[in-house]
Amino acid sequence: MARIRPFCMPKWGIEMTEGTLAEWMVSEGDAFSKGQTLCLIETDKITNEVEAEYDAVVRRILVEQGGDAQPVGTLLAVFADGEASDSDIDAFVEGFTPAETGVAAKSEKQAAAPPKVTEVARAAGGAGPAKIETNRPISPEALKLAEREGVDLSNIEGSGRNGRITYQDVDQALRPAAKPLLRGTAVLPSEDGDVFATPLARRIAAIHGIDLSRVNGTGARGRISKADVLALVVVDDPASLGARPADFVAGDNAPAVEPFDRIRKVVARRLTKAKQDIPHFYLRVTARADALLELRKTANLVLGCKASVNDYIVRASAVALARHPDVNIQVHGEEIHRFPHADISIAVASPKGLVTPVVRQADRMRIDQIAAETRRLIDKASAGRLSMEDMDGGTFSVSNLGMFGVEQFDAIINPPQGAILAVGAAIRQPAEDKDGSVVFESRISLTLSVDHRAIDGAAGAQFMATLKQLIEEPEGLFT
Amino acid sequence: MAKMMYREAVVSTIAEEMERDDSVVVLGEDVVGGMGTAGGPEAIGGIWSTSTGLYGKFGADRVIDTPISESAIVGAAAGLALSGKRPVAELMFADFIGVCLDQIWNQIAKFRYMFGGKSRCPAVIRMAYGGGFNAAAQHSQSPHQILTGIPGLKVVMPSTPADVKGLLRQAIRDDDPVIFLEHKALYAVSGEVPDDPEFIIPFGHARLSRAGQDVTIVSSGLLLGFCETVADKLAEEGIGCDVIDLRTTSPLDEEVILDSVEVTGRIVVVDEAPPRCGLAADINALVAAKAFASLKAPPQAVTPPHTPIPFARELENAYLPSAERIEAAVRKVLDWR
Repeated sequence: MARIRPFCMPKWGIEMTEGTLAEWMVSEGDAFSKGQTLCLIETDKITNEVEAEYDAVVRRILVEQGGDAQPVGTLLAVFADGEASDSDIDAFVEGFTPAETGVAAKSEKQAAAPPKVTEVARAAGGAGPAKIETNRPISPEALKLAEREGVDLSNIEGSGRNGRITYQDVDQALRPAAKPLLRGTAVLPSEDGDVFATPLARRIAAIHGIDLSRVNGTGARGRISKADVLALVVVDDPASLGARPADFVAGDNAPAVEPFDRIRKVVARRLTKAKQDIPHFYLRVTARADALLELRKTANLVLGCKASVNDYIVRASAVALARHPDVNIQVHGEEIHRFPHADISIAVASPKGLVTPVVRQADRMRIDQIAAETRRLIDKASAGRLSMEDMDGGTFSVSNLGMFGVEQFDAIINPPQGAILAVGAAIRQPAEDKDGSVVFESRISLTLSVDHRAIDGAAGAQFMATLKQLIEEPEGLFT
Repeated sequence: MAKMMYREAVVSTIAEEMERDDSVVVLGEDVVGGMGTAGGPEAIGGIWSTSTGLYGKFGADRVIDTPISESAIVGAAAGLALSGKRPVAELMFADFIGVCLDQIWNQIAKFRYMFGGKSRCPAVIRMAYGGGFNAAAQHSQSPHQILTGIPGLKVVMPSTPADVKGLLRQAIRDDDPVIFLEHKALYAVSGEVPDDPEFIIPFGHARLSRAGQDVTIVSSGLLLGFCETVADKLAEEGIGCDVIDLRTTSPLDEEVILDSVEVTGRIVVVDEAPPRCGLAADINALVAAKAFASLKAPPQAVTPPHTPIPFARELENAYLPSAERIEAAVRKVLDWR
């Protein structure tokens, strides 16, 4: 019996309502296997590869690549894993209704969208979560989560009693596939009949060349445990210090070839496109930072926070953006989207690569609130746990390499945003004082990369003037 | 090292201990083998051949055939142990603990405690357990979860002939009552066994049978071999599994389990008893409580369903944990999102 399965526009995060099929990696008639890349889907925020979740054959492609954006839940293709006739596929497409997602309600623009999309009970104006009607057993919290995130329950196997769907099941369905870091097998420690030790203790002893027969066990029933061996590891070290380093011999220098992983592929694509498509121009300003550095100590003490210089610059950028809405924009095709508040993406180097979580409405936040939110996002990024909601959107970016001692650099715009600020290190430099004498002051270099299609030089320059003034007279950050 | 079968390790260890210590006596149904038949004693042999030759060597005073009454066997063992002997009693099927549970639970397990530590009850109760023999619901069970839950008993589940040797010797020499569970499907399995007549494996000392750093698999008895098969298969994909053989479920080697999970962050416990209030649930609860910070995925249990063991071959195969189900559980913890 052939199993026919739909492939629909996925939903990545709350704000995603539609996506564009950028590229098909498979064609009609192709067989693919689990884990193979099927296509690239672009939202207005990110581009992502979609991997096959099972083995099957592409029987019908309904949405060609490079077309208009399609609503979430739109049927993109039909896969089958057995022998299905063309008429079976036709019947499937004809009878297809996006299951329980609710978000797939056909928009008026999408007259050519696939047939028979269910009209779902949604509040007028599209606000609020879509109601899910199901007769499958599901916990109340799981149902709430599924409704809030528009999850298709038909793909979820309930792990509870009698197949009841739990919160954990829905939560798992919302997460991307796992990529466990495998560390592989280890050397099996031999069981020496005379020595009574745990396997881990044996492993550590083998690594450090410790003779277990002279170790006193302090574990249960006199057994040698991890702690007993570790206590000896330090003592055994000095023996290795006397060794003389070997003479230098030039060895092999063959490169280790490492293909781009998926995050790097997306970053590479987006940055290449941004640098090629966006006519960048750059505005460079140097701001005296002495007052800011001085005020930061006091302000952090008063507010009881540990706000970094970068947090102050994010705050200054947000205040300046509120005053210059011409710069607080996104560019979508031939439209400029202006935002009332500044959602600032901060560039963070995470173990998985460059990520840009968003500090929302930073112009309305106090400096301690910005510091706390930034800390939360950086911690999440370090743990590799940033969600789509954390990275979605953003009206402006701040990238700071000052902590590495970089004095000045130019950043690439993070589309669809209109500008990005590159912040350098605070450098002590001599300057001429009013009376002609030489004084030293701290200066921070700021470079704004601007999309000239949407922002003119004067608008960018006014923004930078305000930013410079806010940094040099930082009292303005606390109004 | 000598190569011998699991059942041969049982008999030879009992024989060696009877040789060494006159107080060791054996009792059970048909342990002489053929008593009362035309061929006479030892003409037929007990159904598991785990006492073959003992009668001829040690005589009727030390190898005692009993009536078909588990209450009598265990009750007599309790009395022998209290009066200075070291009885090794045999229940033909572990399923029969029901009829002698008072002797085990309320008497043997409690003597030392009830007499303020002044008495000891060094009885060993051996029993054959486990499914896979098409022997239906009353002759295929693994009742270790009931016995492990009784304070005062030590519970042993060896998985190899060598472990039978070291653990049974410890059981006979131990001054506390020991339940010694032998899996029926392992009796004919061969393995290397140390020749050292003093080779002993202390209780509460789990064995690492495969080493890896990605997933911890915990099991005992027959299923350990399934776990090793899965670990070897996955090793070819670069997935490393620590396979831990518990050897004794009471005392439990908590340290080795936690040490391993702190490295791997993932655990699969494989057990032949039904899931509720069982060994797998117990160990997973332990890990959740004490290694929560290390866990990368929810602990998984591979057990039969909460039903009696079916008789039909196909149903029994579906009921018992298989290598496929163990592999699926390992992949599930690895693929946890």
